[in-house]
Formats: sequence, structure tokens, C-alpha cells
Amino acid sequence: MPRLIPFVAVCGAAALAAAANAVAAFAAEFEPPVRLKGGDAVVRVESPGYAAPCWSDVDGDGLKDLLVGQFNQGKIRVFKNLGEGKLAAGKWLKAEGATAQVPGVW
Amino acid sequence: MAGLFQVLWGQPDGGFKKAAVLNGTDDKPLIIPIGDDSKYQVENICTRPTAVDWDSDGDLDLVVGNFAGSFYVFSGQPNGKFDPQPQLLQSNNQPLKIVGMHSDPFVIDWDHDGDLDLLSGSSNGGVQWAENHAGEGQKRPVLKAFQTLIAPGKSVEYGARLSEKALTGPTTSTRIWVDDVNNDGKLDILVGDSLTLLEPATGLSEAEYKERQVKWQKNLQATSAAMNDPDATAEERQAANLRFSDLYRKRSEFVNEDRTGFVWLYLQK
Repeated sequence: MPRLIPFVAVCGAAALAAAANAVAAFAAEFEPPVRLKGGDAVVRVESPGYAAPCWSDVDGDGLKDLLVGQFNQGKIRVFKNLGEGKLAAGKWLKAEGATAQVPGVW
Repeated sequence: MAGLFQVLWGQPDGGFKKAAVLNGTDDKPLIIPIGDDSKYQVENICTRPTAVDWDSDGDLDLVVGNFAGSFYVFSGQPNGKFDPQPQLLQSNNQPLKIVGMHSDPFVIDWDHDGDLDLLSGSSNGGVQWAENHAGEGQKRPVLKAFQTLIAPGKSVEYGARLSEKALTGPTTSTRIWVDDVNNDGKLDILVGDSLTLLEPATGLSEAEYKERQVKWQKNLQATSAAMNDPDATAEERQAANLRFSDLYRKRSEFVNEDRTGFVWLYLQK
């Protein structure tokens, strides 16, 4: 799968055309999807569903954490990244000491 | 409330303030304006924003999806506010739309050609992407039409049996995030979904479940027909409405229903 067009010292018209084709044909291949876990439990949202993931270092420890928004009350659960591919059990994101809620979701 | 944008402003201690409505430069809540034409009424609900410097001017802009499956860009200003008049994204002089509804933008250089591309989830499920072919160094993206990046999972009709054990990938109403999750130098995709798990109530045999499901479905069809009968009196329709509500209450006697959503990780090979 072409990811980056290799820079070559000799780049005649043929090489440029090949590079253009490589970009046009860009396609990704993926491993089969896996459901993420937080602690020992599968990450899931409350009824009526609608999981919205975000991958960001929310606690400033240098590792990106998983945040998952949901329809119910517009709450967001944070799964701390423990490193080595592991996430901690989820905790509700807090705002000013209370569980954060985004009104009007969605 | 739907269609507004909320911000949880960060605090110096690393925490967050409570959600607050985001205003435009006119100090009014930012919202996609809609015309009188009813076809535009779904353009400003179920909005889903992502903040990115779309036009390479050094300010964060808001790229926004919506119920209709189109995309708008609110231009960011140096003071951290946004121009209240958004731009509708287009491809080949037509509004750029995903296949399905509920556009869910994520902006990143997906094909590593030096410019920003647009990826999206969809009510149909799966992941789509619109390639930016403006080229490196161009300030404003020029997008091709959306194409499938990850095909939608097998669709499940509402009311059909679905066991958690049977799941092999995301279902419908996908919401995405793109990053190098496993730090191998390749972009991966996180996909959230929404589904209804449906299994026989505890203690029911498979045969008992099927028998009750068939009977319930027949009752539902008859009741729906009565509710929509143009010759029915108001009293008859009201009675049918009550029977309809009662049917759904009794459904839990033989069905365990769990509306939920999961987060799936697609690692790029």
C-alpha cells in the first residue's frame, strides 16, 4: 500500500506519472476491528447508544486517553491510557466538580 | 437547543468549565442559518463540529456536520470567535454530502500528500473520505466526492434479534476519530456506533421466544393498520393508539432489549 511517494533523484515524466497514479490509487488496509475495553469491561455507552470516540491526552501525562461521548445527558466517559495498549475503567468527565453534560445532544 | 455548539473551556488546573454555548462574532449563538425552504430544515440539527485550521490562516475554524449529511465551515477569527455566516462545502460545484445522513467530520492528511482530507462517519455506518486534491501548499482544500474507506457493517432491521456475541464490527450511526493509536507511524480509526441488542428474555426457550415474537408482530401490524385506517373514528384511532403503547410495554415480557453503542478500533496494516 503506497503511503508516501518516495522521493527519487531521477524524476522524469514517467516517474512523475507513476507517483500521480500511486496517490490516485491510495487505499488503506485494516486489521479486523476490535472492540475496546476499559479495565476488564467492553467500552459501551448508556441507552439509547450513539458512541462518539475521541483520542486525546486529557490528563496531561503524555499518553492519549479515550474519551467517549454519548446521547444520554450528553455525558462523556474518560478511559485513562495506562500504556502498553491498556485503558483503565471509565470515569465520567467532570466540569466544575460535577459530571460534565453537553445539552441538546445530538 | 439542537444545532448549537457547546464548549467546555479548559481551566488552568487542567479541569473544565461547564458546557457553554459558543457565540459568533455577532455575540449570538453560532448556528447554521436555514432558509424558508423546508428542504434545508435538517441542515442545522444534529450538528457535529471539529476544530481545525481549514483555510491555513493560523486560526482554528469549525468544520461542522449535520443531520442532512452536508458540511459547513465557520471561519475562525483571531479573537477566538467565529464568523456567523458559514460556508457550505462543495465538490464539483455541488454540495459535498456523505452517503447517508449525520455527517461526522474528521480532518486530517489521510493520504499523506501534504494537504488536509475530510473523513466522516454516517447514519448508514462505515467510514467515508473525501480526498483533497488542492495539493501541498494550497490554503483552502478542494475536495473530491466521498468514497468508501470502510464499508458499512451488515444492516440490522429494528426489532431483529441481535446478540452481543454475534458482533464482528461497528453497526450503524458511526462517529469517528483518526490517530496513530498504537504508535506504529500509521493512522488508525476509532469508530463509535449505535445499535439495539435484542435477545430472548431470560428463561424463555428459543421456540417460546419465536412463537411470542410472531404473535406480537401480527398484533403490531393489525394495530398499525387500525391506527392509520382513514375510515376509523377518532375513538377507534385512540383505542388503537392505546393498544400500540400496550403492545410495546408487553414486549419486554419476552425480549431483552439493550440500546447501546461500542467503540471499535481499526488498526491500519
